[in-house]
Amino acid sequence: MTVTPAITDAIEEIKATFPDSTVTAKEDSGGAWVTVDPVELGPKWAPESTTLTFHLADTYPYADVYPHFLGADVVRTEGGGYIEAVTPNASWDQHPAVQVSRRSNKWNAARDTAAIKALRVLDWLRAQ
Amino acid sequence: MIGDYELRLTGDQWDGLYEHLFPGDGDEHGAVVLAGISRSSGKTRLVAREIVYPEDGIDYGPGPGGVWRLGASFVATVSDRAADEGLAYIAVHCHGGTTSVGLSRQDRRSQERTYPALLDILDGQLVGGAVFATGAAAADIWMPDRTRVPLDRVVVTGPNRLVLTPAPDRDGATADGRFGRQALLYGERGQNILAGLTVAVIGCGGIGSLLVELLARLGVGHIIVIDNDIVEATNLPRITGSTRLDAMEWLTRAGRPAWIQAVGRSLSRRKIDVAARIAKRANPRCKVTRISGDVASQAVAGKLTSVDYLFLAADTYRARLVVNALAFQYGIPGVQLGAKVRTRTNDGSIIDVYSVVRPFGPTDGCLLCNGLIPADKLNDEALADRQRQAQKYVEDTEVAAPSVITLNAIAASHAVDEFMFHVTGLPRSDGTGHYVTYRTMESTVERTEPVREATCPECGDVKGSRRGRGDSVALPATNS
Repeated sequence: MTVTPAITDAIEEIKATFPDSTVTAKEDSGGAWVTVDPVELGPKWAPESTTLTFHLADTYPYADVYPHFLGADVVRTEGGGYIEAVTPNASWDQHPAVQVSRRSNKWNAARDTAAIKALRVLDWLRAQ
Repeated sequence: MIGDYELRLTGDQWDGLYEHLFPGDGDEHGAVVLAGISRSSGKTRLVAREIVYPEDGIDYGPGPGGVWRLGASFVATVSDRAADEGLAYIAVHCHGGTTSVGLSRQDRRSQERTYPALLDILDGQLVGGAVFATGAAAADIWMPDRTRVPLDRVVVTGPNRLVLTPAPDRDGATADGRFGRQALLYGERGQNILAGLTVAVIGCGGIGSLLVELLARLGVGHIIVIDNDIVEATNLPRITGSTRLDAMEWLTRAGRPAWIQAVGRSLSRRKIDVAARIAKRANPRCKVTRISGDVASQAVAGKLTSVDYLFLAADTYRARLVVNALAFQYGIPGVQLGAKVRTRTNDGSIIDVYSVVRPFGPTDGCLLCNGLIPADKLNDEALADRQRQAQKYVEDTEVAAPSVITLNAIAASHAVDEFMFHVTGLPRSDGTGHYVTYRTMESTVERTEPVREATCPECGDVKGSRRGRGDSVALPATNS
């Protein structure tokens, strides 16, 4: 896989952040699609355990990391549809998925990382 | 090894070094400049990343025989740092004098005693010994094979560009008489400075074409024009000097069969060709280098590492990222400029109309620190069209934004003014480096002081930041 050193470092950090999950990466236009399998969404979502996929642009870490994608079968446990910023019937690289759109308006290339962003997105989902 | 050797200092670095070398006590003082190395087209640029100051009397003072020198432990510490970070090590000290200076026999003997060992420590990096007078500089640069070359000049990219050479330039070049009226502003010397400069104009659309015309008429010697687009009929009202023939308008206009439009586009002139024509008509002596491509690619950005000034008139955030990186990594001042008409999406009514000029680079603001390279926009640009359509909330970049030559001209004119004052040494009564926004609806001019974040990965002082690193780190450019 030919990606930038920053993306290679990011993937290593993601692996270290999710030591009990399998992290796979697929090169895409100089960036990479990264999938963490499994991640835990908590009791408000079913299934509670799913995949988390996101794209690292080749301009990472200057570029934000969003949107994130969950498995296509993820629904709210309580029913009644999805919540704002979570969209069903989406896709990443032609894989069906549920899309989670969380931009970081204060993204700081010196401080923020893809691993930290993934943890934040998961925390946010668990809190909804 | 023959070539052109230049050391680049920022205005702040020069101010600090000058204060250290010339405190008014008449003594000799020394320091070490650690500099990134850039090699391009026979030119070697040493871009100062850091200046390390010894403590007088402890790390710097008279040794055996009364010769002033840096202490061994200081040299060891600093040279190790240079080796670790892939930087050149340039020892500097002061002599008396003002506009002329040279290395003494004693200086050269000292170099011969110590620099071979330093070259071993630095393992392939360059070592130099420089001497400064208050208005002059001279140096020998030692190659890894222990040959040495003279430094051609020190360039200080402060609010005004300052060039220090071993002796005053007496090349006798006389400015072209046609420039007499403008030379009354900055002198024949200023006109000769302009003739000796290489500037890059990134983006040759409406604003870029105006820049090229202004720069050529100003008498700039070499303009590198960069764009990857062709002239279209809708560009004609804004690209100065462009014609209907350039756009193959009768073939590409709406209503023509698709295949005829395609033929028309294939025959349309490239924007860089029009820019070159503009420059040559304005000033036949101007050398123009055309680069068809995207500055965001390494192949293009890599050709700009030794230019003297960057004009950024391209409209992608990726271009901003790469050009801002060029500025700090290679010590090149520049200006980003644009004009914008903001409208309401529901009824198209006008919210704001403005032109903006933002100096950036070693002594000025950093586009990243100042929020002008938003992380979300960079991410949006990286997404393929297919993904953009799938992720529907991303703005449709194909929707044409309003664009008018008069607004472009405000930005272009003020940006070239910024450049002209910087390089010719014209004084500014109220400082430089601020961002200026010209709001047409209100007839107001706003001035903003750019911020600098110490932890910025581009311009900051933190370990690993890009500033002054030369070729030792990669630009954030694509490989395509």
